[in-house]
Amino acid sequence: MTEKRRIELGSLYSLSGSYALISEACRTGVLAAIAAVNADPALDLEFVAVERDPQGNVDLYGPLCEEILRDSSARHVIGCVTSWSRKEVIPTIEKHGGALWYAVPYEGFEASDHVVYTHACPNQHLLPLLNWVLPQFGPRGFLTGSNYIWGWEMNRLARERITLAGGEVLGERYLPIGSREIDRMIEEIRVSRPDFVLNSMIGPSSYAFMQAYRALGEADAHFRPERCPILSCNLTECELPALGEAAEGLIAAGPYFRGATGLAGGHDFGSSHEARAYASVMELARLLAHREGSETWSLAQLLAADSGAGGIVDAETHHTVLPVIIAQVREGAFKTVQRTERVAGDPYLTRGRNFPTAPMLRVVS
Amino acid sequence: MKRPIRIQNLGGARAMILHRPHPTVAALTRQLAAIGLQVTQAWPEAGAEAMAQDFIFFDADMGHDEMFPWPVQQAPMPMVALIGSEAPGRIEWALRAGAHAQLLKPVGDNGAYSALLIARDAFDAQRAFYAEIADLRRRLDERQTVVRAVTLLSARGKTEAEAYAQLRQMAMAWRISFEDAAGRIVGGSASEEGGNGKHDRG
Repeated sequence: MTEKRRIELGSLYSLSGSYALISEACRTGVLAAIAAVNADPALDLEFVAVERDPQGNVDLYGPLCEEILRDSSARHVIGCVTSWSRKEVIPTIEKHGGALWYAVPYEGFEASDHVVYTHACPNQHLLPLLNWVLPQFGPRGFLTGSNYIWGWEMNRLARERITLAGGEVLGERYLPIGSREIDRMIEEIRVSRPDFVLNSMIGPSSYAFMQAYRALGEADAHFRPERCPILSCNLTECELPALGEAAEGLIAAGPYFRGATGLAGGHDFGSSHEARAYASVMELARLLAHREGSETWSLAQLLAADSGAGGIVDAETHHTVLPVIIAQVREGAFKTVQRTERVAGDPYLTRGRNFPTAPMLRVVS
Repeated sequence: MKRPIRIQNLGGARAMILHRPHPTVAALTRQLAAIGLQVTQAWPEAGAEAMAQDFIFFDADMGHDEMFPWPVQQAPMPMVALIGSEAPGRIEWALRAGAHAQLLKPVGDNGAYSALLIARDAFDAQRAFYAEIADLRRRLDERQTVVRAVTLLSARGKTEAEAYAQLRQMAMAWRISFEDAAGRIVGGSASEEGGNGKHDRG
């Protein structure tokens, strides 16, 4: 058996607070990957997790990340769920020459030299989701979000795409993270009668909204999923327990849903959050393996040394190639309705045909 | 003026960095390539290739007017100044060279995307303003033509107000500007009353 180098690996997930379910899913993936790496006799390294818990408080991310990079030998940190927290830690990561592995879906328009983005960006979630939904349900959307960058940017892109398709945005509303005051939003949706609702809220706001929307659908058939579904790019299996029946009919996009093959390499992950956190740690292990001293290298050095070896991280954008799966919750589980293989992350929507110049919907008489 | 900002169409756009070889050039090239641009570097002069670029990033510290193949302030594309020394003389020169946005040196891991969008928006706004000013200036120059046209129409027994209204109606019917309609009246090509624009010169 190869002698194993002991390498510390930072982990920065909030185990309490409004998005704890997502953090827990990611952490499950991280710990499973660490166990797999440590048990693999072919790898000359073992990971030791250096964990910090910011408890859902965005102001703790910077200081706790600093603590990991200052007080341990870890250069790589896996963590952050909200884009807000990611933007808080990047300056710290840069200052220490470290790297952040970010394993959840986000809104794109970023390609830091110090970050690897292993989950989906809009050309891998929102745009294909709208492409699938608009022709089926109609082009009139209502946009909702939590009041921070994820919701704002998702809804900006959705508005751009819906308008290009000749559709209409009937409303756009935000709630502060953690707020459950969804009554006004629900009332506006009831009155405007859209064809679909994009839900880019997180945590308790999203759960309260989904439950109230289900009740609305029971009172008025227009708001049942077969006529006016809720769309999401951030809900996965890890939050189904918090949603219960209210998740029925939800249409979501992601690189993996439970039971999907291909991405998971034979593993049965609980959600794409868990799957991509796992994949991140495994890829880091592959990059560090059999490169003596590489645990002190910068991310750029590490990727340069691995150039051409078939890694998952694109050297230019630091994003990954993923399947795009559109799935609908039926009887408590996501069922795939469309699957596209191998879509490269395109954070600035500048590669490939993300924006058709002509409306993609025609009126059929 | 309300114009939507252009966020699309950066894919495959060409950017030239006018700067001596330097880590700042490497960092900026990395950022621009990640965004999806094709990047070239040139120094000390831009050369004719500069004309084919969609964006120019230029060194404000060592820059000079002769580095650009166009007259001062007539860059045909958005320009971003790379500023190291914030000395007033250098900032003044960068502005005079036509900077639409700036990035502070040393360039690190971010800043290029906002610089691209801000420079392009400022460039678009500037171009729209120049076009509008040129149009207003031309119309101002044609005040005399308008006065002569109104006088000509009044000579046929109309009041000045009626002549003015008639000229406006002609412009609308011909789908040309008020000043152009006046030009036709004065030029005589529409001297027949009720000219219907069949001899449209536009």
